[in-house]
Amino acid sequence: MKRILLIITGCLLFVDVVFAQNLKIAVAANLQPVIKALQKDFKQKTGMDVEPIVGSSGNLSAQIRNGAPYDIFLSADMSFPETLFKEGFSQKKPVIYAQGSLIICSNQNIGFENWERLLLTNRIKKIAIANPKIAPYGKAAEETLKDKGILDDVQSKVVYGESISQVNTYITSGVVEVGFTTQALVKDPANKTPLFWQVIDPKTYAPIAQGMIILKHANGNADAGKFYQYILSPAAKAIFKEYGYRVQ
Amino acid sequence: MIINLSLMDFNPIWLTLKLAGITTVLLLAVGLPVAWWLSKGRSIFKIILEAIITMPLVLPPSVLGFYLLLAFSPQHGVGKWLQQVFNIQFVFSFQGLVLASVIYSMPFMIGPIKSALQQLPVSLSQASYSMGKSKWQTFLYVLLPNIKPSLLTAIVLTFAHTLGEFGVVLMIGGNIPNVTRVASIAVYDSVEQMDYHSANVYSLILFAITFIMVVGVFVFNKYQLKSPLE
Repeated sequence: MKRILLIITGCLLFVDVVFAQNLKIAVAANLQPVIKALQKDFKQKTGMDVEPIVGSSGNLSAQIRNGAPYDIFLSADMSFPETLFKEGFSQKKPVIYAQGSLIICSNQNIGFENWERLLLTNRIKKIAIANPKIAPYGKAAEETLKDKGILDDVQSKVVYGESISQVNTYITSGVVEVGFTTQALVKDPANKTPLFWQVIDPKTYAPIAQGMIILKHANGNADAGKFYQYILSPAAKAIFKEYGYRVQ
Repeated sequence: MIINLSLMDFNPIWLTLKLAGITTVLLLAVGLPVAWWLSKGRSIFKIILEAIITMPLVLPPSVLGFYLLLAFSPQHGVGKWLQQVFNIQFVFSFQGLVLASVIYSMPFMIGPIKSALQQLPVSLSQASYSMGKSKWQTFLYVLLPNIKPSLLTAIVLTFAHTLGEFGVVLMIGGNIPNVTRVASIAVYDSVEQMDYHSANVYSLILFAITFIMVVGVFVFNKYQLKSPLE
């Protein structure tokens, strides 16, 4: 019995050693399409693997606050990383790495020229947005609807995804007629569904400044610093741009 | 921790109780005849049906959620037909959650009733038939009263299991206040928003309800087992 336990412990330790080397990056759900491209490019440049953990920014920061072993956090906004910084989960202030752009999107060709009007008609039964309290793209979508003065009128049609990824599922599977999501969705090569979409006027919502923060868990880990620098490098910026993000 | 209830939104709790109540009543209506039928004899068809009914017990709820999401998409198949003919949409609606819960909790209703019926001596129903009672009369007045503890267990477990439903609702619910935002989702949501106070209150309420129910069943069953013969 003792021997078996020893073997099991040995295996677990071995597994831990094998996987411990990978950087763990907490990634906001809107980056799901782009993180694969970044990961590949980073691997090509440095030979290093990173392990992305994708979720809503709110969920990820709750995990970090409760001791999740992540090295870097790519948030969908600035407020989550700023709060983490203030609470001492990082020694370095967050930086903006990209600005997101909101689109209205559908898997049916319904014509978005006059989408405010369209949302009010009974052709649209359900509108998906991400939970505005935890997902910055959901907040932006709500701001746009408010700006157009139709939020109250369409409220009964709104369904909430727990992150932008779930909104994407709702759109591509067609359970909602339209949804508000990130432009990265339509640029994602993994998406096989033909989509129809239009960029939302950025003046109708507060800019989605997406912040990155290097976490305490990365202390003394030079590789984490490399990935941090990479995300701010021209190579990564070009990839962000390709997926519809705005970069400085 | 100070618990302040005045600011709380208790609708998720009411919604959960409503969902569990409706699901239990529906499952009782469906489950009794099915369990009775399954308890009598064996055939390949019965075995397969019983396996299908039992599946939700072991399948991850996300599997059920995923297929329900696809099946009830208003753009194709069953979902489209339901929408066009009856104007019913099962995704993002309370009816949808009821349907999902009925499937999800079915083994908890049918399982205990079926095994209890199987364990009753055949002589019980034979005696009833020989006194000229019909099948249904026998079922209602002879068999059912004899499986009261199992019946109660089935009802309570179904109710409690529906209270605990999370994965399916997360996938097909859409987190709509007063429609699909049940307590388990509200807990998840509050934690994500770092509103640990609300999460705590919802969780404590769920904890208390389930605890009282399960203890109640144990007490009742113990009493039932002893009382008639002692």
